Amino acid sequence: MRRVLVWGLLIMSGMLAVSHIQAEQTNHRVVTILAERFSFTPSEIRVAVGTSLELRIHSNDTMHGFRIIGNNVNILVPKRRQGEAVVRFEAVDVGRYEFECSRLCGAGHNFMRGAIIVHADHQEADR
Amino acid sequence: MPTKNIFLFGKIICLLLFTNVPNVLAQEELSKRVRALRQEQPVYFDGQTRVDMTQPAIKSLSLRRQADDDNTTSSAVSQTGPISGYMDFHFNNVEFQDPVLDFHRFVLLFTHSFSDRVRFVSELELEHAVVSPETDGELELEQAYIDFLMSRNFNLRAGMVLAPVGVINERHEPPVFHGVERPSVETVIIPTTWFGAGAGLHGEVGSGFRYRVYAMETLNASGFSAESGLRGGRQKGARSNAKHVAGTGRVEFVGTPGLVLGASLWSGDSGFAFPRGDVSVTMAEFDGRYHWAEFDIRGLYAHAFLDGIAELNNSLQRIVGVNPNIAEQLRGFYLEGSYFLLANPAPRELAVFVRYENFDTQYRMPSGFDSIAAFDRDSWSFGITYFPDPDVAVKVDYTVQRNRSEVLPAPNSFNVGLGWWF
Repeated sequence: MRRVLVWGLLIMSGMLAVSHIQAEQTNHRVVTILAERFSFTPSEIRVAVGTSLELRIHSNDTMHGFRIIGNNVNILVPKRRQGEAVVRFEAVDVGRYEFECSRLCGAGHNFMRGAIIVHADHQEADR
Repeated sequence: MPTKNIFLFGKIICLLLFTNVPNVLAQEELSKRVRALRQEQPVYFDGQTRVDMTQPAIKSLSLRRQADDDNTTSSAVSQTGPISGYMDFHFNNVEFQDPVLDFHRFVLLFTHSFSDRVRFVSELELEHAVVSPETDGELELEQAYIDFLMSRNFNLRAGMVLAPVGVINERHEPPVFHGVERPSVETVIIPTTWFGAGAGLHGEVGSGFRYRVYAMETLNASGFSAESGLRGGRQKGARSNAKHVAGTGRVEFVGTPGLVLGASLWSGDSGFAFPRGDVSVTMAEFDGRYHWAEFDIRGLYAHAFLDGIAELNNSLQRIVGVNPNIAEQLRGFYLEGSYFLLANPAPRELAVFVRYENFDTQYRMPSGFDSIAAFDRDSWSFGITYFPDPDVAVKVDYTVQRNRSEVLPAPNSFNVGLGWWF
C-alpha cells in the first residue's frame, strides 16, 4: 500500500510539474523581429497582460536601434550577421507602447516605427 | 498504519491537489522566481556578437504606463544627432570614351530632435567633387524637413522631401543596392534622386501597411528631353514655381519578413513655363523585393504618361530652334537577382548579382513625331559586391547595353566602385 501511495504522489507531482510548464509556456512569448532599412517586421505585436515577452531583433543591413518611446528601453541592434539584440519584458499594464529605430540608418530612418499592444486578455491579443 | 487512516490521508492529499490552492501558490512562487532570474539579465547580445557596445543598465523591463509627472524616460530635451553620411567613389570605363575616376557622391546627414515628436533631418550632397563652371559638379540639399511624429499611424512632414516613388529614391545608401551605378530605370524613367519642396502625411497601419502622401513642387516641362526623359525637369526646391502643385503617394506592404511590395503614383501639371502650355505628367510605379536565406530578388516597373507633348515640342522648337522630340509615354522595368556566395559575417561577405533592364524614353510618341531608336534600350549587368563590413561595399560590374538603333551603338561599360555608410 505504501508503494501505491508513493507512486500516486510521484504521478501527482509529475502532473503538477507539467501543468506548471504549460502555464509558463502560455505566458511566455518569443517574437523574432527583422530590422532593415526602413522597417521592423513584424511592426505590430499584440500580447495579453501578464505575458513575458521576449523580442529577438536582428538586422539585415546596418546597425539599428530599438527604443520604446516613453520607456527606459534603448538598445542597439548589431549589423547583419553580427548577432542579435534580445530584450525581455513583462507586460504589466494594458496599453499601446510604440517603438522606433533610435540610430540614424538612412534617408527613411523616421519611418522605422512599430507598436507593442498589451491587451486585457488573450482573446483580444489573438485577434 | 491502519487501512482506514491511509484512505483518509489519500483523500486529503487528493483534495488538496485538485482544489488547486497549493497548485496556484506553487506556480506563483515559481513564476516570481523565474521572473526575478530573467530580470537579472534584462538585455544582452548573444555570444556571436562581434561589436563592442555598451548597453544601458536596465534593472527592470516592464511594459508599464509612465506616471504623468515622470519625465525621467522621455526625451523632452533637444539634442543634435551624430553626423552620418554615405559616399560613392567610382571608376567608370565606358566604351568609346576615356575611363574616368569620379568621387560621385559625398553626402552628409545632419539631424536634430527638438523633442520625441518634432525632429529635423537633412541630407546635403556634393556630386562629382567640385562645383565650378568647368565641371558638372553639384551641391544639392536633397532633404531638409521637419517630422511632426504624432503616432505610428499618422505623422506630418514638411520641407525638402524625397518623392516616394520607386525603390532607390528613398533607399539609396550604396551598400543596399548592387552595381556601381544605380539602375538605369531608376535614373532615366524615375529621375532619382527626385526631391523637392513639399509637405504631407506618412504612417503605418495594421501589421505592415504603410503610406506616404505629399503635395510637392511639380516638374518643369522645359527641362524634359528625348534621352533623359523627365530628369531635367526637377526644380530641386530652388525658387520652385508654385503655380501648380503635384500630388504623390506610395503604399507599401512590409508585413512579411523579407518581403516589400510597393506602388507609387505621382501627378502634376508641368507646363507653367509656357503661356499656352498645358502639360501634365502622371507616373505609376510598382515594385517588389524579397530575400530568403542568401537569395535576394527585386523588380520594378515604371510608366510615365505625358499630356500636351506635341504642343510642348513645338513650343521648345520655336524657342531653341531644335525639336526636342519628347515622348508622350516613357516606361521601363528591371529584374535583379543576387546571392551571397560567402555569407559569413564580414569581412567574408561576397554577393554576386545579375540585373536585366529595359527602358525606353520614346515609348509612345505624339502624333506627327517619330521615336528615336537609340533611346529604346535594354541592358544586362552582372558583377560582385564584397562587404568588408555590412556598411562598406566594394563593387565590380560589367554592363552590356543595347539599343534599337542601327547607327548609334549603345556603349558597354566596366565599373568599379567603393561605397560606404556611417
